[in-house]
Amino acid sequence: MSKFGVDLEVHIASLRRYARALLRNSADAEDLVQEALTRAVARADSFQAGTNLRAWLFTILHNVHVNQVRSKAARPQEVDVADVESKLVSPPRQEERVELREMMRAVDELPEEQRKVLLLVALEGLKYDEVADMLGVPIGTVMSRLSRAREAVRAKLANEGGVTLRRVK
Amino acid sequence: MNAHQATGRVTEDELHAYVDGQLDGNRRLAVERWLAEDPEAARRAEDYRAQAVLLHEMFDIVLREPASDTVQELSDRLKGRIAFNDNRPAWHARPLVRFAAAVMLVVAGATGGWMGRGVDQQAGAPVAQQRQTLATFAQEATQAHRFYTSDERFQVELGADNQDELNGWLSKRMGRDVFGPDLGRVGYRLIGGRSLPTDLGAGAQYMYANDGNKRITLFVGAPQSGNQSNFSFTQNGDVATFYWVEGPLAYALAGRLSKEELLEIAKAVYQDVKAGPPRREPPPEQQQQQQQQPQPQQQDHPPGVQPISDTQKAKES
Repeated sequence: MSKFGVDLEVHIASLRRYARALLRNSADAEDLVQEALTRAVARADSFQAGTNLRAWLFTILHNVHVNQVRSKAARPQEVDVADVESKLVSPPRQEERVELREMMRAVDELPEEQRKVLLLVALEGLKYDEVADMLGVPIGTVMSRLSRAREAVRAKLANEGGVTLRRVK
Repeated sequence: MNAHQATGRVTEDELHAYVDGQLDGNRRLAVERWLAEDPEAARRAEDYRAQAVLLHEMFDIVLREPASDTVQELSDRLKGRIAFNDNRPAWHARPLVRFAAAVMLVVAGATGGWMGRGVDQQAGAPVAQQRQTLATFAQEATQAHRFYTSDERFQVELGADNQDELNGWLSKRMGRDVFGPDLGRVGYRLIGGRSLPTDLGAGAQYMYANDGNKRITLFVGAPQSGNQSNFSFTQNGDVATFYWVEGPLAYALAGRLSKEELLEIAKAVYQDVKAGPPRREPPPEQQQQQQQQPQPQQQDHPPGVQPISDTQKAKES
């Protein structure tokens, strides 16, 4: 059985999940992955056999995203958090929904640089040095962003049940 | 950061690395010692882990959604461009493989820090290490339960219409004889099973349902160290899990049930597994072990070791 085939499937599934978590919109996320893969195909020759395929793919995705954000900066889009939430959360039972909604909001309210690190580490399981390379920051920066993100989310979830503002980003 | 000394003070970074499974064996033991003595730090580690679980609950749904045609086509092209060692291009196109890959991602991601623990089995106290490996196993079972009971389309890979076929197929995948016990006497019928790729080897998941369509799953795996153990219990959110080792295999029974209800079923599973598969003579050594049947016993907080997965706050039951 080809380990490579499964690895690539896993990495691409991982890219899609990360893109969705980052952009919170399935069409935008799929577009981002599509553009990243287009670039990966074009640059496949530059991939060194035996090196870290996952890190290579995530780095491409990150760079594409940074460029997209730059080019979209002139025309910001507004998405109501509530609209997106209803599409994202699978039809769960009532008690789960509240917890997930709180978590969703807490993650949304993080500064993007912290949100990225939290998602890459806690959701995608990337190593700290992979995240540092990918974002082009020192590993100490990765650790402090991770720590701040986790504590901020923790503080928000601890306040669960209090009145929270519905934020429109 | 004063790392790399088993006695050194644990740093903030190491707490994160512990939660994320990015610490080496010595430091991990140091962090575990610290967590056992510092309830506030243990709560933080537990909360961080709970955050990861929530993230998976929110976004793993993407893994079950098919990629767009364009993304799929690009994946295949990329595979062609850099698949230097892959001379079987037809294989990866099978939907089952794609799905297995997604599942591998779910299981590996969800268990986070607990993956890779099997690698340094030799280091540290063997008993504590085995507990940790089993805690990992239980965690995987719980996550697999969550995942496959969340969407009826994927609940089983192979149905239980022909149980011999199901057991034979899973035994082949596992490389060991496994079977789905008959739980009719506790009100549950076998509906099917699936094989799950995990980092610790192939696992088998049997799914059962009762008349109210309540589903429970029995996860069977082959841990690296297979000493007999008592029943252990862990609660993750609303999913309760009993797990234990019997002979060369580890078992984890998971369900959205109260601990007491689940224990009754776990006992039935235990007895059936002891008795061996239907229409087959149990091997002699299993009959000898009949004498030392372990009593169900709760091990929420093994001394000196406090697996985070065992300290998730119990809710709703």
